[in-house]
Amino acid sequence: MVVNLSDREISPEIIESCRQGDREAFRALYDAYKDKVYSIALYFFHGDAAAASDATQQAFLKLITNIESFRGESEFPTWLHRLVVNTCLDGSRKRKSREMPIEPADLARFASPASADEEVDRRQRADRIQTALSSLPPKLRLPILLRYFEDLSYAEMAGALRCSAGTVASRLNQGHKLLAAKLEKLRQGVTRSGVARKGMTPK
Amino acid sequence: MKLPDQKPPAGPIEPGQLPLVQAPEEIWRSIEAELDAPEPRTSWFRAWQWAAATLLVIGLVSWYATRPAPVTWQVARLGGSPSIGKIKVGEWLQTDASSRARITVGNIGVVDVEPNTRLRLVAASPTEHRLTLARGEISATVTAPPRLFLVDTPASTAVDLGCAYRIKTDASGDGVLRVTSGWVSLEWKGRESLVPAGASCRTRAGTGPGTPYFTDASDALQQALSAFDFAGGGSDALGTILQEARVRDTLTLWHLLSRVDPQERTRVFHRMTELVPLPESVSRDKALLLDPAALKSWREELAWKW
Repeated sequence: MVVNLSDREISPEIIESCRQGDREAFRALYDAYKDKVYSIALYFFHGDAAAASDATQQAFLKLITNIESFRGESEFPTWLHRLVVNTCLDGSRKRKSREMPIEPADLARFASPASADEEVDRRQRADRIQTALSSLPPKLRLPILLRYFEDLSYAEMAGALRCSAGTVASRLNQGHKLLAAKLEKLRQGVTRSGVARKGMTPK
Repeated sequence: MKLPDQKPPAGPIEPGQLPLVQAPEEIWRSIEAELDAPEPRTSWFRAWQWAAATLLVIGLVSWYATRPAPVTWQVARLGGSPSIGKIKVGEWLQTDASSRARITVGNIGVVDVEPNTRLRLVAASPTEHRLTLARGEISATVTAPPRLFLVDTPASTAVDLGCAYRIKTDASGDGVLRVTSGWVSLEWKGRESLVPAGASCRTRAGTGPGTPYFTDASDALQQALSAFDFAGGGSDALGTILQEARVRDTLTLWHLLSRVDPQERTRVFHRMTELVPLPESVSRDKALLLDPAALKSWREELAWKW
């Protein structure tokens, strides 16, 4: 089962056990959230698995070492999202000068297996989406990833991104428009050429 | 339903098009390795010696006293011969010219105390960790939620917003803050300077925090800013600042917007919008009237360039 970060399916008891330093409780917390956190980081960092692993590790280390500071369950999801966002942005700043997008095909390999035709289609779609996502600036990319992988309200996203709900709405709107335009352009490019470009070629 | 409670509409990526990726198991192993990593051997032994001695003292005191033992921070020696052990609320720690020390601030971070520094622990509670830096220099690395760790100096209060920074002051309050990660808010009598990673901010006795600037800004900008903040540099200094400003220096200009005379404000506004177009979400009139919401929204947009 996929646990949504905002679903709070981790019980207050587990969080309390984490506060007491219970390693098993940490592991339960980690298991519940790791794939979502890792996926957001992976797509944020253009498919760079090493960067995504680093970001995931840093986010959970911050969570584990600071969990005692939390008073109530209601603050937990916002805090967790904020940690993920901050870690991604910090990582992005550090990598700014040497950032090199990964070949989109590298991302497509993460998808589940399917028939040969479906696999080709799926890879091409994933290629296009990752290429389009990578072309967006971080401030537009992050809200889109949070929206896609999490079912957050504007207020929750605003808490995670440390900006107003209006700003979230504006960035999502702008990001979705740019993404749609970019995807359409890429789709037309594929249709016109009739040939899968390098990186879209199924492996 | 109000906007904040609503869920945003789905975008052009349809469900399932971006696969959820399973996090590699090595990540957890790395996390466990970090959590289990031992302290350096010498400080580990010293910490245990001091912990054992402190526990004994606390046990005896608790046996005799009815009130709980006071909250303390651990102090370790980094160099020279500062007194080490623990520091309690209300106590002072002082290093001489050849001594350095490291204070472990609960479980939220560490403070390295440089030579010739005098500081006092003011509060150590789950809701506030606070110390006074009377003079000298410290560097702090804090991973707590924002506004939990505070450092008072004679001319400012440094409010941690999740970061690492170095702050230096003399006994009068003249000093400088340099942020290496995250954000710090320097506050003094209603004046606030928000300082991001890579930026610095000077403080002066009687004035409080100056205007933050990136340390890679031109020397001319930095000198003019110092003249503007603390030496009555006025319009001439402002002219140099505006001329020298780069896109990144909108950090400085954003702060100056509310610090210049009203007749100079339009100059600052125009230079800012020359460097970075005004976002659609910010109204020109509201920005010039220093509407707090407009300024905040503008800062949030500019911060992507900082």
